[in-house]
Amino acid sequence: MKEVRDPLTGHMTTGHEWNGITELNTRVPRAIWLFILVTHVWALIIWILLPAWPVGTTYTKGVLGLDQRQQVNKEIAAAERAFAERDRQIRERSVPEIMTDVSLMNYVMDTASAIFGDNCAVCHGTAASGGPGYPSLIDTDWLWGGDTDQIMETLRVGINSQHPDTRHAQMPAFGRLGVLSGRDVRLLVPYVKSLSGSDIPAEVRAAGEDLFSRNCSSCHGADGMGRLQAGAPNLTDDVWLYGGGDNDIFYTIWDGRQGWMPAWQARLSDEDRKMLVIYLQELADGERP
Amino acid sequence: MLMKIIRVLIKPFASLYEAHAVAHYRIERHSMGLSIGIIIAAAIGGLVEIAPLFTIDETVEAAPDMRLYTPLEQAGRDIYVREGCYACHSQMVRTLRDEVERYGAYSLAVESQYDHPMLWGSKRTGPDLARIGGKYSDSWHVQHLVNPRTVVPESIMPQYAFLRRAVLETQSLPGRLEALRRAGVPYKADMISSAEVDAAGQAKPDSDLADGVFERYGEETAIRNFDGQDGRVTEMDALVAYLQVLGQLTDLPESNSARDE
Amino acid sequence: MISRLTSGERSIALMLASTGALIGVLMGAFGSGDPMGVHGWIVLAFCGALILVIGNNFYDPEPSEDRTLSYYDDPTKAGLIIALSWAVVGMGMGVWVACQLAWPDFRFENAWSSFGRIRPVHTTGIIFGFGGNALIATSFHIMQRTSRARIPDQVAPWFVLLGYNLFCLIAVSGYLMGVTQSKEYAEPEWYADIWLVVVWVSYFTLYVRTLARRNEPHIYVANWYYLAFILVMAVLHVVNNLALPASFSGAKSYSVFGGVQDAMTQWWYGHNAVAFFLTSGFLGMLYYFLPKRAERPIYSYRLSILSFWGITFFYIWVGSHHLHYTALPHWVQTLGMTFSIMLLVPSWASAGNALMTLNGAWNKVRDDAALRFMMIAAVFYGLSTFEGSFLAIRPVNGLSHYTDWTVGHVHAGAMGWVAFITFGSIYTLAPILWKRAGMYSAKAVEWHFWFALAGTVIYVFAMWNSGITQGLMWRTYNESGTLKYPFIDTVVAMRPYYIARAFGGLLFLSGACIGFWNVVMTIRRAPLKEPERDYPMNSEEPQVAAVAGK
Repeated sequence: MKEVRDPLTGHMTTGHEWNGITELNTRVPRAIWLFILVTHVWALIIWILLPAWPVGTTYTKGVLGLDQRQQVNKEIAAAERAFAERDRQIRERSVPEIMTDVSLMNYVMDTASAIFGDNCAVCHGTAASGGPGYPSLIDTDWLWGGDTDQIMETLRVGINSQHPDTRHAQMPAFGRLGVLSGRDVRLLVPYVKSLSGSDIPAEVRAAGEDLFSRNCSSCHGADGMGRLQAGAPNLTDDVWLYGGGDNDIFYTIWDGRQGWMPAWQARLSDEDRKMLVIYLQELADGERP
Repeated sequence: MLMKIIRVLIKPFASLYEAHAVAHYRIERHSMGLSIGIIIAAAIGGLVEIAPLFTIDETVEAAPDMRLYTPLEQAGRDIYVREGCYACHSQMVRTLRDEVERYGAYSLAVESQYDHPMLWGSKRTGPDLARIGGKYSDSWHVQHLVNPRTVVPESIMPQYAFLRRAVLETQSLPGRLEALRRAGVPYKADMISSAEVDAAGQAKPDSDLADGVFERYGEETAIRNFDGQDGRVTEMDALVAYLQVLGQLTDLPESNSARDE
Repeated sequence: MISRLTSGERSIALMLASTGALIGVLMGAFGSGDPMGVHGWIVLAFCGALILVIGNNFYDPEPSEDRTLSYYDDPTKAGLIIALSWAVVGMGMGVWVACQLAWPDFRFENAWSSFGRIRPVHTTGIIFGFGGNALIATSFHIMQRTSRARIPDQVAPWFVLLGYNLFCLIAVSGYLMGVTQSKEYAEPEWYADIWLVVVWVSYFTLYVRTLARRNEPHIYVANWYYLAFILVMAVLHVVNNLALPASFSGAKSYSVFGGVQDAMTQWWYGHNAVAFFLTSGFLGMLYYFLPKRAERPIYSYRLSILSFWGITFFYIWVGSHHLHYTALPHWVQTLGMTFSIMLLVPSWASAGNALMTLNGAWNKVRDDAALRFMMIAAVFYGLSTFEGSFLAIRPVNGLSHYTDWTVGHVHAGAMGWVAFITFGSIYTLAPILWKRAGMYSAKAVEWHFWFALAGTVIYVFAMWNSGITQGLMWRTYNESGTLKYPFIDTVVAMRPYYIARAFGGLLFLSGACIGFWNVVMTIRRAPLKEPERDYPMNSEEPQVAAVAGK
């Protein structure tokens, strides 16, 4: 086949044909050359400026001497410097003082909400209202004490965590380990519920009281008011971490319970944790009528 | 003037192209010639980018405290692979400020040194997991895997309740560790031979089997009843053990970010 | 189809199928208790079915046709139908996984239906099942036509096509059982990988053997691209899948590469699967069917040379842009970024070459939906290569990576480019293969076109929105200068886009179903018509082409 001129474009064909397909021998358009020039020159500049080409056991570092790790470290350090003053105030001032400082409080609430969302919400819920097995953080009921220092300490060391200073508590599995029979546990359930005010027959109360004083009072107290140092909850306030139904309470006594809260000392800074405490307090205040 | 400069600059590209086009015109008549040309053109980039990763020492940082996955953790990793978790979770904190602030210190190459394959991932439908180890309790992980929406109502993650019922297959663990050893993970002979026992021991803190795990893999090893069920060791034990060790293999990343400041 | 094989070919085919069946039995026996055993039985069933089909027609009379006078199109026909079946399966799976993201309980209680297991069924079903079969089928057609020579033997193309589908079948069934390497687009385990190498070597051999018989001095552009597709995929596949099996009686293996080297190797593979599977191969398709349908000469042979070698050389470098800001050394990232930008020139040269070829045929683009499919494909090819280079720029990637923007980008390519060019080609090819006057229903082609286009646009826009939204939310700082959104907020924000995406996918799937129906009806009902010239001879030299050796 011959090279012919395509009447439409005026370009010559290459003279080849494949099952009816032909090609024009059109020159490469100028725009393409320009485009090639621009991208290659840009690449060349980047290679000169940044780390780019491997050379044996090392690589060209680039005249800017940039490295992604130093860059991000610098950026984070700059941010920390920018926050230094506010962080110092958070560190040094007392919680009530901070809570009356409007601008500081804005900072605390802005910052702590994302920290809470990324770290705490998966257990305690996005509204911090808790769920089965995970306590509400906006009521007044605190297993390990509800004042600022106590909450700060819980956040720092966790509960039953790997931290050396961890808070530690375990309710034994009275039923499963054979300390109490199924009948005993069934007797205890109504008694425990009655501590929060429900009425029960006198003979049930008597039997339950006896069992309670022998097995439970060492941690929960003879009156069932709980003991902070042992992480033993108050049983008289009708707040039930693991559910307040007959079945729930039965299984709590039968299988025991052991809460687990991670230690946040390594993950969150002192200031972050203090802000969380304030954030929770603010949330709780908002909940109250 | 500008046009002139551009023309001069374009010249070398154009003449290179001309030479290439002439060569191509000749080569396109020979299928094998064309094939060899394609292989050569395509080989260069890969060689230049991959080979130096083995020769440049600083590619993988030195972390003397770097520890190995225990057999149970490796078995959990294999479950992570099997279930395709990488499709939604990355294990790579990038060198970006927001990621460091959200997830923790940026990931180092050494942290995945013993990962065959690596699971850096390419999509975060769920959050990054590079530093998830120790962040939440075992029981939370179990609850979350059984049905994520019981703890995180907004979650769109699938349920993995079957893991708690599936007894972990440990017979093949020595073979698996041996394959990893041949791929370059420094497992010792006794680690391989006692892989089955160690896998069971790590999930049974009250048994004698646990001692061997400490001995072989270090005191830092978490030995717990991960899935909270007594008796048999399940796939849930393995997966939670693996999740709990993510980001815990070495302390280097944190000291590293502090140092460069 | 079997009766067109000579008795010698039938014996070879029977032997191959029996060998396969034997391997299946061995796998089933040694791998019992492991997913590998199940795979053994699948292999046995596959090969057993083949043995039955061959055996049934084994003693049919010898074919009497003169093989030098016609092309061998049976495998192409089968490949086309298989490709369309994979399209429906793969896209159906895609719609299902998309729905799971919007409604997470839209699944069964079993392990196999979780997102992590069926997502690779979708990706493999589309890339390898739909895309791969379409490539193999069209390549058989194109290599014969552009060489004006018949394929050298009749068993090899069947071996390639069926062997390849056996690989796809093992891959996909494996994911459901949890057999995966968790290497994206290279999920199948070691024995499937080895099998693919065998198939692939015979594919390459077949291609080169056909080219060797050609009656044209020059090799056409489409064939360059198919060759690049076959060759480079082979290299990529072998290197990235190097693994040590934990045992030869089980599926589990471990990559020989670990950590950062594995990451680089994986994305060197991953990105070039896009390059040489989803770009090179389909450019081969475009370079044949677009000028054929438009009846116009290729705009510029010189541009073809520039873009072919540019794509082959530059693409290989860019995989590291999947690892920006990671623990991969900074220098590799810089190379990945710069080469991604340089790559844009040959990519756009290809797209431009295709669109300029349509000059003088725009009236056909308006009237002929098949050609319009190809035109839109070229446009989307241009768009997604531009987007790809843009996303490879480090700071942009910092925002887009790990978000749905990447997913949207991939689908702009996979739906807008790969599927559009394939459907355009199928609508061109089906009437030729089955010797019909045209497609059964031109209207159905129109419907398919608009469904596909609407689906793609909705999908891509939804993912742009969700990706950019999520990327921005992750890095949004509040007025106090600290992170504003916890991660879970970004999950909640994605929901409307996930619903829109599932809807877009559903439209696209509906289009594909219409297309499948239309092809089947074309085979069964459309009026017959002999093509004008479709036999392996040089029209100017009417002597018979080189006679087959056997």
